[in-house]
Amino acid sequence: MVDVKLILSLLADNVERTGYPVPIDPRRIYSWAEPLKLPRGGRTVLYTGALYQLVPYINSLVRHLESLERRKGGGLALRLAKTVGRIVDLGKIVAKADPSEVSTVEKVLTSIANLLSAAGVEYGYLYENDLYSGVLLYDMGLDEAFRRHAGKVAEALKRSGASLVITVDPHTTHVLRKVFPEYVERFEFEVKSYLEVLAEKGRRLPVKTPSEPGYDVVLHDPCFYARHEGVIEQPRRLLALAGLNVKDPAKSGRMTYCCGGPVEAISPSLSKRIAETRLDELRAVGGRIVTMCPICYANLRRAGGEVEDIALHLSRRLLGA
Amino acid sequence: MPWSRARILEEAEKCAYCGFCEAACPTLPYGRHRGYGPRGRVALSGHLAAGGQASSEVLVSLYTCLTCAACTLKCPAGIDIPSLVRAARSLVAAAPHKKRII
Amino acid sequence: MPSNPKRLLEDLKSLLGRNKVIEDEAIVRLYSREPSGLESPALAVVFPETTGDVSRLAKYAYSHDLRLFPQGSSTSLSGSAVPLDEGVVVTFEHMNRVREISVVDSITVVEPGVRIDELNLELAGKGYMFPVDPASSAVATVGGAINSGAGGMRSAKYGTMRDWVLGLEIVLPDEHGSVLRLGCRTLKCRQGYDLVRLIVGSEGTLAMVTEAVLKIAPLPEQVVVALAFYPELRDVAEAVVAVKEQGVQPYIMEFMDDRTVEAAAKTVEVSVEASGHMFLVGVDVNREAAERTASWLSRTLSSAGATRLYVAGTVNEAEERGFFTLRRSLLPAQMRVAREITGSPRTLVYIGDIAVPPSKLVDAVEELRSLEAKYGLFTMIGGHIGDGNLHPAVGLDPRNKEQARRVEEWYLEVMELALKLGGTISSEHGIGLLKREGLRREFQHLGSEKALELMKGLKRLFDPKGVLNPGKVV
Repeated sequence: MVDVKLILSLLADNVERTGYPVPIDPRRIYSWAEPLKLPRGGRTVLYTGALYQLVPYINSLVRHLESLERRKGGGLALRLAKTVGRIVDLGKIVAKADPSEVSTVEKVLTSIANLLSAAGVEYGYLYENDLYSGVLLYDMGLDEAFRRHAGKVAEALKRSGASLVITVDPHTTHVLRKVFPEYVERFEFEVKSYLEVLAEKGRRLPVKTPSEPGYDVVLHDPCFYARHEGVIEQPRRLLALAGLNVKDPAKSGRMTYCCGGPVEAISPSLSKRIAETRLDELRAVGGRIVTMCPICYANLRRAGGEVEDIALHLSRRLLGA
Repeated sequence: MPWSRARILEEAEKCAYCGFCEAACPTLPYGRHRGYGPRGRVALSGHLAAGGQASSEVLVSLYTCLTCAACTLKCPAGIDIPSLVRAARSLVAAAPHKKRII
Repeated sequence: MPSNPKRLLEDLKSLLGRNKVIEDEAIVRLYSREPSGLESPALAVVFPETTGDVSRLAKYAYSHDLRLFPQGSSTSLSGSAVPLDEGVVVTFEHMNRVREISVVDSITVVEPGVRIDELNLELAGKGYMFPVDPASSAVATVGGAINSGAGGMRSAKYGTMRDWVLGLEIVLPDEHGSVLRLGCRTLKCRQGYDLVRLIVGSEGTLAMVTEAVLKIAPLPEQVVVALAFYPELRDVAEAVVAVKEQGVQPYIMEFMDDRTVEAAAKTVEVSVEASGHMFLVGVDVNREAAERTASWLSRTLSSAGATRLYVAGTVNEAEERGFFTLRRSLLPAQMRVAREITGSPRTLVYIGDIAVPPSKLVDAVEELRSLEAKYGLFTMIGGHIGDGNLHPAVGLDPRNKEQARRVEEWYLEVMELALKLGGTISSEHGIGLLKREGLRREFQHLGSEKALELMKGLKRLFDPKGVLNPGKVV
C-alpha cells in the first residue's frame, strides 16, 4: 500500500505546477489532432480532458509502483519516497511511457474525431486549451486544488466560445457535467459524451456496410457511464449499427462491475486482482472485449486482457479505417 | 459543493449497519478487513468527520474505494456512498501534511 | 484478561502472525457494532485462517482469562455479535472457502466465513441450493447463520438451520483448545446426545465453529408465484388456509400489512397496484404442472376475497413483473418510515421476531395493532406467514431516552403476546442480549424455569471459564 498522503501531495503539487497529475509534455495532449486539421473552437468543441493521453504515463508510474510493491524490505511508502522524492524523478519514471500505448490512445482519439465528422457534427478542437479536467484531484478529495484547477478549465472553455462540449471518456463526462457546476460559478455548458452525440445522429451515421462479417463483442460498462451518467443503451445501439453482435456479461448496465482501475496508484496489486476477477467474467461470455474508458482499458490490459476501445471498433466498421 | 463535516456525519449516521452493500463491493473480498468494504467506509467517514484519528488503516480504507457506486444500488438507507467517501477524503486532504517532499 | 493490553497484542501476534491481528481502534470499532444499534468496544480483532489458529487462540484465552467474541458478518438483530466487555473479536471472514460439494451425498462442506449467497451461487451451477435464506443472505455467513439458528422465507417448507446442519468441527475454549468433530456426513446419524443441534443456535457461547457439513437440496424445477392484496386481515388468513387445504406446502408464503404496503410503495417503485394486505405465495412444481397450479392458485386466492391478483408462471417472470419488490423493500421501508417519525438521521429500527401458530396470525396482528395505540409507536408488520413468524418493527432515536424506554416496554409486551398465543419470543434472530428477559419469561410461561438452569450448566460444561461470548443467551 502506498503512503496516501505522499501520493496526495505529489498529485496536488504536480497539477498546480504543470497542469497535469504526472509530468507530460503539454504538446503530447493535442499533437494527435494536428494531422486532422480540425478547426479551432466554435459553438461545439471536442474536449478530451487529457485522460486518454495521460494513460500511458500513468501506466508507467503504476508499473514502477508495482515493482516497488514486489520488492522486499522497508515499506512501500519509504521506497516510493526514495525513488520519487522530487518531481524530476517522477518525470524520469513516467517518461518511459510505452510508445505503442501512446500510439493506441492517439488512434482512439483520431477515430472519435473522424466518427464525429462523418456523422455530420460540426465542431472545433481546443488544442493547447484542451486542459486536464482535474478529475483525479476531485476523486482524491483535494477540493481546493480541484476548485482552482476547474476554474482554469472553465476559463479555457469560455474562451473557446463553446456552448456544447463533447467529451470522450466517462470520468471527464461526469466531472464536467455533474461536478463542475457545483465548483465553478456559472458553468453553463451543455456536456455530452461523444457516444451520446453519435447515438443521437443514429441513422445519419454513414454506415458503410462492412465488408467483413460481424463478430461477437462483450461490452464492459464503465461505472461512471452506467451508474452516474446513464450511458448504457447508446454504445449498444452504435455497436449494433456497426453490424456487431453485443453480448453482455453477467454484471452489466447499471449492475456493472468495476475494472479496479481507480485504485491503481494506491494499491496496484488490489487493483489488478479486481481486474482479473472482472476479466474472468468478461471472458466467460465469449467475444472480443470492448471498453469505453481509458482507465478500464489500461487496467484490464495490465491484468492480461485482450481488450480494445469501442472507438476503434466503430471506426473500422463504420468508416473502414 | 463539498460537504461540510455536519453533512458527512448526518449521511454516515443514516447507516443501519445491515451490510447489504458489502456483497456488491469489488474491493472487500481482497481486503484485509471490513474497512475495505462500503459498510466500513461509511462508518470511518463518520469517524473522521467526528474528529477521529486518520490512522493509516483508516486512510487505506477510504483511499481504496473505487467510488464505483455498486454499493449504493444495494443500500436500503439510500446513502450516496461514493460521495460520502470523497467528502471524507477531502477532510484528509485538507489536513496539513507534515513532510513536504517537493 | 491479561493485565497488560500491549502484552496481549504481542502474544496474539506471535500466536497467529502479525497480519492476523488488528488493533487500530477505528477498525476494531467496525467489528463492535451491529444493526440492532448495540455497540461496545473490543481490544482487537483477530482473523484466524485455519482451525489450528482458532485452537491456539482458544487455548490462550483459556489460560489467560481472555474473552473471545466470535463473529460472522455482524448482521445479528439481537445483540449476539457485539463484544460486551474487554475482549477480542474473532472474525471468520478469512475462513471462507467452500471445501466440497457432493451431489451424490447431498452435502457441502464449508468454512464458517462463506456467505450464504456465495454458497448458493456455487450450488446453483450444479442445480442445487442451500435453502435457508435469511433476508441478509447476501452478507450473512454460514457460521453466523449456524450460531444464530437462522431461518428465512423458505423456512415454512425447508425449516431453519437446525434442519440443515449434519456435522460440525468445533473448537472448545479449554486448556488444549480441543478440536472436536461432531455429527456425520450422512443424513441419518444417531450419535448419542445431539451435540450438533446444541451448537446450532448457541450464538457462539459454547464453542467456535470452524467447519460445517451442510445438507443441500435440489433447486425446484419451476416456481409459480402469485401476489394478492386483501382488504381484510381475515381474508389473508382464509387464503392461507385455502392454499394449505389443497395439500400443498408452498415454497414461500409472505405477508405485509396494509400500512406497511403503503409505506413500501412510497419507498420503491412498484409496478403492480399495491393496496391492502399483501400476500405473496410461491409454489414449486414440475414444469408440466405449472399451468394447472397457476389456475388453482388464482381461483383459490380470488375466492378468498383478493381485490388484486397477479400470477406469474416462473420466478423470472415474477421478478420481471416486480412481484418481490414490495417484500424486499420491507427493511428500507421500515427505515424510511422510522426516520420520518423520529425526524433524526440517527434512527434505529427495532425488529421483533415472534412466531405464533399460523392459526393465531390474525389475533397476533390485531393485538400488535392495539399495542401500537397503547405505546404510540407506529408499527410496521411483515413476516413469513407460512410458519407464523412475524417481524413487527418500530423506529427510534437511541438518543431519545424516553422513546428508547417505551420501545423496550413495547418489545417485552410483543414477546408476551406471542407467548399468550402459544408462540415463541424468537424464531430466527436468536436471544443475544435483547431477548434474555424474553427467554426467561418464555420458560416461566411454560412452567419450565429449570430449563434455564440446564442451559447455564451446559454453558459451564463447554466453557468453564466463561471465555466465549459472555453475557449472551443465558
